[in-house]
Amino acid sequence: MIPPRVLIKTYLSPLIGMTAYFMQRVTGLLLLFYLLLHVHTVHEISGGPLAFNHAMDAFKNPLFRLLEIGLLGIVILHALNGIRIMVIDFGVATRHQKRLFWGLAVVIGALIFIAGALPLFMHSVWER
Amino acid sequence: MSRNAFAWYMQRITGALLVPLLIAHFWVEHFMSATLMRGDLTYDVILSRISNPWWQAIDISFLLIALYHGLNGLYGIILDFGKVGPRAATATLVLLFGVGVAWAIWGITAFHNL
Repeated sequence: MIPPRVLIKTYLSPLIGMTAYFMQRVTGLLLLFYLLLHVHTVHEISGGPLAFNHAMDAFKNPLFRLLEIGLLGIVILHALNGIRIMVIDFGVATRHQKRLFWGLAVVIGALIFIAGALPLFMHSVWER
Repeated sequence: MSRNAFAWYMQRITGALLVPLLIAHFWVEHFMSATLMRGDLTYDVILSRISNPWWQAIDISFLLIALYHGLNGLYGIILDFGKVGPRAATATLVLLFGVGVAWAIWGITAFHNL
């Protein structure tokens, strides 16, 4: 029986750098697409109070709320992994790049995500 | 410095700038304003913030930096496929630059409607 620690080190660990690289590109493309939607939205809401309220009603839809929380997660992953990339590029902690991915992008990212998503979730579900 | 090295550096510089801008943007739009937290956000609240020239400067800078970062990232992704020769790369760059200018004008005019 191979201990799980060894299994992770042998099979999972070599993929982390590649996964992070791939994830950065996918989340980046999603964020660029979001910027397109976002500029469109700003145009919509800037049409006056009536157009503004009309757009706001649409955003109160639970689907939009869910997408908003998803956006928060994507932004946090991209930003924290981006910081990890810059840290590695400076030549600092290059040997710990995998641990940095787990610690910074995943664990700290999850904490920020929960702290940010809870208020968004709360006032969309309970205060309505 | 080669064109690609410049793109590489700029991606890091703009990325570092986007982190505080993004945190400020999220904070202002979602958590700071009491009217926002209560969910009774109105057109006038947005109008009063965006009529401040400092907020206009910050938001337009944010848009331009984000656009550069996003399109430069897209340029990097296209090059990463390895199928793009030097001339096609230049054509891609020119195309993305045009897209960026159009997108920036589209974004800035959204403010001027307000």
